[in-house]
Amino acid sequence: MNKKILSTQNITKTFGQIKALDNVDFHLYRGKIHGLLGENGAGKSSLMNVLSGIYQPEKGSIYINNQKQNSLNPDLASKLGIGMVHQEFRLVESFSIKDNLTLSKANIYIKDFEEAFNKYSKIFSLSANHDSLVSELSVGEKQKIEIMKLIFNNNKIMLLDEPTAVLTPQETNQLKISLETLSKEDEKTIVFITHKLKEIKEFTETIFVMKNGQMVAKDLKTKSVKDEELVTLMMGEVTKSAIKKDNKKGETKLKVENISLAKNVIGFNNLDGINLSIKAGEVLGIAGVSGNGQVELANIISGIYKNFEGKIIIKGQDVSEKGVKARKKLNLSYIPENRLGVGLAPGVSILDNSVVKEYFNASYGPHLSTKKMVNYLNLLVKEFSIKTAEPKAEISTLSGGNMQKLLMGRELISSPEIIIAAQPTRGLDVSAVEALHELIISQRNKGSAIMLISEDLDELFKLSDRLIVLYEGKIIKEFNINEANTNNVGLAMAGVIE
Amino acid sequence: MNNYILSKKTVVNDFATFYSFLIGLFIAIFIGSVILLIQDQNPINIFSLMIKLSVGSINSLSSSLNKAIPLILAGLGISIMNSVKLWNIGAEGQIFLGAIAVNLIYINTEIYNSTLFIIVLLISGFIGGSICILLPAITKVFFGVNEIITTLLTNYIIIGLTVYLVNGPWKDPKSLNFPAAAYVGDEVYLPTINGKLSSGFLICILFTIGAYYLKEKSVFGYEMRIAGGSAMTALYAGINAKQKTFYAMLFGGGFAGLAGAIELLSQTHRVSIGISQGFGYTAIIVAAITGMRPLGIFLVGCLFGALTIGGTVIQTIGVSSYIADIIQATTLIGALVSQFFFTYQIKEVKNG
Amino acid sequence: MADIQLMGLLNATLQAATLLFIAALGELITEKSGILNLGVEGMISVGAVTGFMTAINTENLFLSILVGVLSASIFSSIHAFVTVILKQDQTVSGLILTILGLALSSLLGKKYVGKKLMIKIESIIDIAEPSNVFEVLLNQNFIFYLAILLMITTSFVLKKTMFGRRLEAVGEDSRASDSMGLKINKTQFIATCVGGAFAGLSGVYLTLSYVPYWTDNMTSGRGWICLALVIFGGWKPYRTAIGALLFGFLEALVPRLQTYGFELSPYLVKIAPYIITIIVLIILTVYKEGKTGAPGNIGRPFFRENR
Repeated sequence: MNKKILSTQNITKTFGQIKALDNVDFHLYRGKIHGLLGENGAGKSSLMNVLSGIYQPEKGSIYINNQKQNSLNPDLASKLGIGMVHQEFRLVESFSIKDNLTLSKANIYIKDFEEAFNKYSKIFSLSANHDSLVSELSVGEKQKIEIMKLIFNNNKIMLLDEPTAVLTPQETNQLKISLETLSKEDEKTIVFITHKLKEIKEFTETIFVMKNGQMVAKDLKTKSVKDEELVTLMMGEVTKSAIKKDNKKGETKLKVENISLAKNVIGFNNLDGINLSIKAGEVLGIAGVSGNGQVELANIISGIYKNFEGKIIIKGQDVSEKGVKARKKLNLSYIPENRLGVGLAPGVSILDNSVVKEYFNASYGPHLSTKKMVNYLNLLVKEFSIKTAEPKAEISTLSGGNMQKLLMGRELISSPEIIIAAQPTRGLDVSAVEALHELIISQRNKGSAIMLISEDLDELFKLSDRLIVLYEGKIIKEFNINEANTNNVGLAMAGVIE
Repeated sequence: MNNYILSKKTVVNDFATFYSFLIGLFIAIFIGSVILLIQDQNPINIFSLMIKLSVGSINSLSSSLNKAIPLILAGLGISIMNSVKLWNIGAEGQIFLGAIAVNLIYINTEIYNSTLFIIVLLISGFIGGSICILLPAITKVFFGVNEIITTLLTNYIIIGLTVYLVNGPWKDPKSLNFPAAAYVGDEVYLPTINGKLSSGFLICILFTIGAYYLKEKSVFGYEMRIAGGSAMTALYAGINAKQKTFYAMLFGGGFAGLAGAIELLSQTHRVSIGISQGFGYTAIIVAAITGMRPLGIFLVGCLFGALTIGGTVIQTIGVSSYIADIIQATTLIGALVSQFFFTYQIKEVKNG
Repeated sequence: MADIQLMGLLNATLQAATLLFIAALGELITEKSGILNLGVEGMISVGAVTGFMTAINTENLFLSILVGVLSASIFSSIHAFVTVILKQDQTVSGLILTILGLALSSLLGKKYVGKKLMIKIESIIDIAEPSNVFEVLLNQNFIFYLAILLMITTSFVLKKTMFGRRLEAVGEDSRASDSMGLKINKTQFIATCVGGAFAGLSGVYLTLSYVPYWTDNMTSGRGWICLALVIFGGWKPYRTAIGALLFGFLEALVPRLQTYGFELSPYLVKIAPYIITIIVLIILTVYKEGKTGAPGNIGRPFFRENR
């Protein structure tokens, strides 16, 4: 029986009124792959942050290698062998792979770098040369470097936070094999953190489940535990509504003809001959790994990018030469992927951001009516249950979920006829995701034509009527929702056409 | 072992800037006192003398407020540019070019109506300041060139131009010891209110209200804020970020140019290297301390004007006028330091 | 005869370039770590006046240089404290320190205006009118050679040593560096103080060799040129040195224009370096489309998001 290499008892961490962690007991066995399952906001990230020394708990104790740790900070945690791969990578883009792996003070492969690099490149199926710049790598390759970083820093306990979020199904499989090799041959202890049921069953040997800051199940044997059991533990009373797909579709509201963009630096067209159309009351899902043209397509349709070839026709009118204003007039709303940066302006107040779409309605000629703006904001807050403190506070003081609610509320309150939504529920907790899904479906039922761009296949399957897969800027395959499954969509996402 | 954690406060006290300023001022006075003590001066005497001679009489108060005019106007310009998140380090040069523009128009035009002439000259000053910032504006908006460096370097170019003009084409033969242009005629002197306080101060008040309205209450101000936040968001809002940035910069330059025009028409009455003694840089401090708020700029500008007069006056008893500069700069450092405590909190965490 | 004049021009160029280069190199180091220090002008000034004061009072050259370098470094630690520890705005802090530095040095230097130095930094071999390149080189003093040494060392350290690569990493991406266990605050603080020390050395060179006396506003805007030089040089030591030579050449040229028979007003020629800098800056920014070589993180305070 494997030794317990780490254990925690009664860990509690509070932020203001919210208990992020509530008397959490947790443990890890050496050399095993553990799963930490829970919805967004359940406390998984908080627990990991405590283990890696970023958060200090108010209560509770941590034992590493049977020694009690009195105050863990990131440096100490790292020395004790705990390393974490976050969802947003922490690599210096302009430096080489070698630099990123060796600059850390904890690097153990100083003299035998080549040997180690070759060994682990094989395990991870990494084909890049160690002098290549990180900026030249694909997302999947960057993740491999992030994991290798942990190995090079002698982190025997590896915490991986939602690692498969950015991978194709095929890359996910590759990751599974690499992790299995690491745990068996290298005796690395791995924690796989996710909210995806399927993956936790595929990747792990034992499962821990968290809900609302509490550890609701420990050490469940992956091989024998049932899906329904896990679902109930994860979500408790919240039932995910199944969406009825009997929606009536009306006339075509959006037509996109032959959209192309010039070749980019790496050599392929960011977008190449895109043709699609969406009818009223229809949800068209766009699947694809991030970076295959989704952002560009969304920005072109919304009018932000103007430098393209092809035609955009909205409600029968050709707006290809026109800008954002023309789209707004034709009742198109855009929920961009970059919440902060495109949808919302950083460094600007919540109040200012709330009226971005229709600020000319909050003015009397050249005079800006603060009163009108406040009324508008209050309307949004009420309609969409947004939690905000002060209107004049800067926008990033809102939580991610509330920022997204504000953004979506702002765009949807006018009952738009065409909605372009890109990654609308990324990073949000379960109740926020449910609420936003309901919003999207109710807009669909009101007759909006909706383009849903998402990396979350579950979300796409749940909400879409049709599915398009983008790969390297082209539409590689189209599906009707009843023909689509994870396998054929996943293959398409990786560029394989059957 | 105790750990200290640094974290940003989510709600910031609205009066934080004001309190920080007071704290900074207090620290500055303290440090100024120390410097005076080291020089065998009595701080209490010196400071009360400074106060008495800067605001103790109508006459001295008027001088102080006159000194405040360029600080306030240039500071307002800086605060407008701050709406689009840009720095105007070039106020000094813009002040000079504003004065140069006034002189240029003056010697080449004749308008018989005095008031009209003065108005035309003031507008020329404003335009002169805008022209000064034109190159930085174009390069910033179209090419993304760092405006801190371009506005800064333009200062030296314009000051060099000024030196050239007052030693060359505009050299006044009657001014023997000091290179300067010829005096402008008294028909274009800015009228004074009580014989000392320039009507330029009224212009100041007007422009303060104008800047406040522009920044806080107008649609243009809103558009500037969004443009300064994110060009993409602005694009989505239908705001032409480049245009707003460009105009904000022209305003910034224009306000400083106007300051130069007023300096010429009310204080020096001619172009010379004495048009500005670092006003453009002090204005940056004034604007920064107040968190770029027009009303605050007005008040702090007046205070700094009094400080400068106080500093000049105590030279007569042998104390260096630089004490005023030091107090001004230290006030801001002190304000910055205390602002830290208002924005962040340090928590001590014990583990057990 | 022309030869002597040309050599005289070269001589002056090297001296002016040395003055500019050392402070620029210091700023390069500071900026590489992600901190923008607009206070260079003030720091050169502080080094200049304290070095001069020490020289007048003690007539000890070594001590004077030491005092100048240390004072400027301590002065720059104010900027380091405000921007690195307290995370306040770097532009504002730097500007205040320029104003403060200039005011302080004027204050301190008041009694020393017009005083004559009994010592100065001597050339390797003092040659009144060097007639060939070799003699020009010998006529420089040790600070010139020190500058060359610093240039080579800095370039080597940045490119080839762990320490230098880590410094660059901190300036490029502080979050990534933090996750690598690099000490952001410590690195930036030290880099700023080192930059200040270099500025102090420039200042000492100014008042103990280049000029050598003290008046108000001795630095006359050279600190700003140094800032421009760093950009001109693309944050690379060797290229910055080339820029320093170019600007040194222009500075040396101004008083010699008449002898070369140019009709240009000296005032207008004095403006030339600034105009050239702006043009170069525009060209660099435009053609490199933003990839000017600037450290990725520059100007942005870093703090680990702890709650």
